[in-house]
Amino acid sequence: MKNYRNFCIIAHIDHGKSTLADRLIQACGAVGDREFRDQILDSMDLERERGITIKSNTVSLEYTSKGGEPYVLNLIDTPGHVDFSHEVRRSLMSCEGALLVVDASQGVEAQTVANLYLATEYDLEIVPVINKIDLPSADIDRVSEEIDADLGLDPFEAVKCSAKNNIGIDDVLEAIVTRLPAPSGSAEGPLTALIFDAQYDSYRGVVLLVRVRDGSIRPGQMIRLMHTGADYEVEEVGTLRLAKVRTAELGAGSVGYVIAGIKTIQDINVGDTITDAARPANAPIPGYREAKPVVFSSMYPMSSDDYDDLAKALDKLRLNDAALSFQKVSSAALGFGFRSGFLGLLHLDIVQERLEREFGMSLLLTAPTVQFRVTQADGTVLDIDNPSYYPDPSTIEKVEEPFIRASIMIPDKYLGPVMELCREQRAQETSFDYLAVGRVEVKSELPLAEVLFDFYDRLKTITRGYGSFDYELLDYRPTDIVKVDILVNKERVDALSQLLHRDKARQRALHYCERLAKTIPKHQFKIPIQGAIGGTVIARTTINAFRKDVTAKCYGGDVTRKRKLLEKQKKGKAKMKMVGSVEIPQEAFVAVLKADPEE
Amino acid sequence: MSAADAPASGVDLAGLYVHVPFCSAICPYCDFAVTTGNARLRAGYVDSLLAELDAWSADARERFGAFDTLYFGGGTPSALEPALLSRVIDACRERFDLPSDAWLSLEANPEDVDAASAASWRALGVRTVSLGAQSFDDASLRRLGRRHDGRRARESVAIALEAGFETVSVDLILGLPGQTLESWCRDLATAIALEPHHVSCYQLTIHESTPFARQRAAGRLEELAEEAQADLYARTHEDLAAAGFAAYEVSNFARGAEHRSAHNSKYWRHAPYLGLGMSSHSFDGRRRWWNERAIGPYRDRVAAGELPIAGAETLNDAQLALECVMLRLRTAEGLPLRCFHERFGVDLLGRNRAAIELLVAGGRAVLDESSLRLLPPGLAIVDAIVRGLQVDPGYGDGGAGPKGR
Repeated sequence: MKNYRNFCIIAHIDHGKSTLADRLIQACGAVGDREFRDQILDSMDLERERGITIKSNTVSLEYTSKGGEPYVLNLIDTPGHVDFSHEVRRSLMSCEGALLVVDASQGVEAQTVANLYLATEYDLEIVPVINKIDLPSADIDRVSEEIDADLGLDPFEAVKCSAKNNIGIDDVLEAIVTRLPAPSGSAEGPLTALIFDAQYDSYRGVVLLVRVRDGSIRPGQMIRLMHTGADYEVEEVGTLRLAKVRTAELGAGSVGYVIAGIKTIQDINVGDTITDAARPANAPIPGYREAKPVVFSSMYPMSSDDYDDLAKALDKLRLNDAALSFQKVSSAALGFGFRSGFLGLLHLDIVQERLEREFGMSLLLTAPTVQFRVTQADGTVLDIDNPSYYPDPSTIEKVEEPFIRASIMIPDKYLGPVMELCREQRAQETSFDYLAVGRVEVKSELPLAEVLFDFYDRLKTITRGYGSFDYELLDYRPTDIVKVDILVNKERVDALSQLLHRDKARQRALHYCERLAKTIPKHQFKIPIQGAIGGTVIARTTINAFRKDVTAKCYGGDVTRKRKLLEKQKKGKAKMKMVGSVEIPQEAFVAVLKADPEE
Repeated sequence: MSAADAPASGVDLAGLYVHVPFCSAICPYCDFAVTTGNARLRAGYVDSLLAELDAWSADARERFGAFDTLYFGGGTPSALEPALLSRVIDACRERFDLPSDAWLSLEANPEDVDAASAASWRALGVRTVSLGAQSFDDASLRRLGRRHDGRRARESVAIALEAGFETVSVDLILGLPGQTLESWCRDLATAIALEPHHVSCYQLTIHESTPFARQRAAGRLEELAEEAQADLYARTHEDLAAAGFAAYEVSNFARGAEHRSAHNSKYWRHAPYLGLGMSSHSFDGRRRWWNERAIGPYRDRVAAGELPIAGAETLNDAQLALECVMLRLRTAEGLPLRCFHERFGVDLLGRNRAAIELLVAGGRAVLDESSLRLLPPGLAIVDAIVRGLQVDPGYGDGGAGPKGR
């Protein structure tokens, strides 16, 4: 056990986490140069392109120290975004130490701090690493100062390297074995092992990635998942090289995989504790929290014929994404689709993009919403994440909505506009601290619903891209929510209903109305487009009837061309969605649901 | 297929069209197959027409039977010397079944119309002369790139009437950039005062790859807004109706049924027609084909003894049905619903009851036992109406095939 080192790398986005992991893997000879590719742990195309890690990945490396001692280094890669903080937490709990990577020219950023706080919450030993030291813009002195002032770490202990150009990698490896602690735990048990991730293998079922605390796991053993209470027989255990390598057992302090005949990823919870069914531990490993979706949206296929394909695609995605939840819904305007829950907007984005790219789906997503807590006059409490199920306002006693604590780091010259932005977004408490000369951290308690809409885009605009943003969920607070319906020719378009704060209702409704008026073609009759709360119209636009749509000349030589055009137009019309007697083209929904409201 | 079997056309005889591509200048809004040409080219073109006639000869009788109209369109047929016109007319009579009482029509530019030319056309048997006045306003005519002025346009109408053509028609363009309701009404009033038998009023259409389209793209030409266009169109119907001109098609108005264009009506009634000359289209009731659009390939192919056909399509019943709706709704007779049902197996009224009721309620259409007819506000949006009608037999009927024949 003393020669195990379980560690992770944490960093702000783009500070070089994946590149450093690549270098460590190569330095330990885990992969030949020929098989090597950049960001080797990020297996999804999407991860590579966006430079973010979505699923955590883990690799065991063999390293012989300068003193000649052999070590097993378990690098537990962590997702790099706030939406996936539950996965980050599980990963951190499996480690004893962390490399905190800071870009030598960018310095300490919002997520550097957030990740450090997370890591210290789990008592990890931190080794700061200053990366990209060979960049012309590198300012090691300033970054050292930031590490001292903003992170409270000793800058003299920082290891300096350039992962890209393979400078200082040996120093990083030595720091891992000399400065990070070995795992502690009891080899005799009883068995406790943390499930920090799970993957789905179409031949073997669910593959659990575990960190063994006490005891050991071996094939044939009956294990119990302490939170779900289910028992399974272990079929195979092993360590995670770049491929799985079968071993006789996983002992205390080790990291590896367990296959135990588990059919679907929904059968387990990441964060659960494995114990021996015959000799169970007294208590599970603390810190268990279920990953809960906070953002909800309905997904509809552009063409209703593709509903079955969407269902299959979601089923496949769910095999590897335990946080994804969905259920069938139907909309009068958009047909059948799925109401889905996500961990955050990025998660939603990623699911949508994977569906579109990996499964060739073309999708319409309704406006994302949060879950509101509605207390009715009779005392019943409803969690409402779908405007369709919003109860009659006369029966509602109170409504609460989720609040977050946003941490926004900006150059101080943007402080005024950012404070104003927070105020506009219904912030309840906003404060700021100077982190260093010229850098400010704004902390603000905001409704999650506001952040979903356009907060981040506006922040980026206001700060010219220099602002960074991170958040954590706080609590539910009383709010004044109304259900805003959009009526096209007096008919409600269910897919466009939204739950909005009363102060924002008129503006948003008008925005929808204007978008629709621009994208719905003229009809033979005048079409009023209205935004309404119950029976009260709060916004309105009108599409005038067309009065002129005729080809002036239609003689012998014009008939074929005109008929062909008509056939094409009729095909286009067949794809339109009917709301009452109004034909709404897909583009109208796309324009409303996808448009940047700042345009 | 003989003309008698032509879909939804009853007993219409076939029409014969001859395209004359020459113009003294190319108008900036024109997208027809035209060329400026010279005397030698014109004579050569007539040789080509005769060669095409030869290539058809007996086959045309078999496929089209008798023709009861001959229409010279263009371009500018009046640019063709009377002797050349005569050669073409004689050749048609020789080779095709074209009775002496067949209705001859000729499109003419005002600058080509004088007492002598009018008399020679009369002598050739031309019964309708259609004058491309376009406007009587000098500024508008300059804008349109026309060679004549308002005075010449007015004179040409008077000369044609004097010459005794059975039908004198005036072509006008509305919706010119910058045109006001007042200036359009002046044009209309001038036309009405000249007392022609027939008026065609065409909304200006800017076709791609014309000088007008390029001017529009460069921001130098702004089309009239839809509202203004609609006002002009509505006013056109009102003023012409008040002067005794009944609309019998979207853009065509006649003082009495005898002055309607028998030839053009064939297109809207789906009757067969044979087009001669470059870029002409032909239709035999089931198949449609079109000639080479450029003069070079046209000339070379007929010289080689071939038919100069550049492309063709055979229409299935669904396509015929769609065309039938698209064309018939443009006319005052409207769409004969029962005939249509019998011919295509589609109960148009049953399939579109709500849409049709909406049209009737909105004052855009009239529905009686046998037909659906559009009124001027409906004609103004006939393209949109046709787009909205369900013309296929409906779901579960196994596609668009015919049921009752």
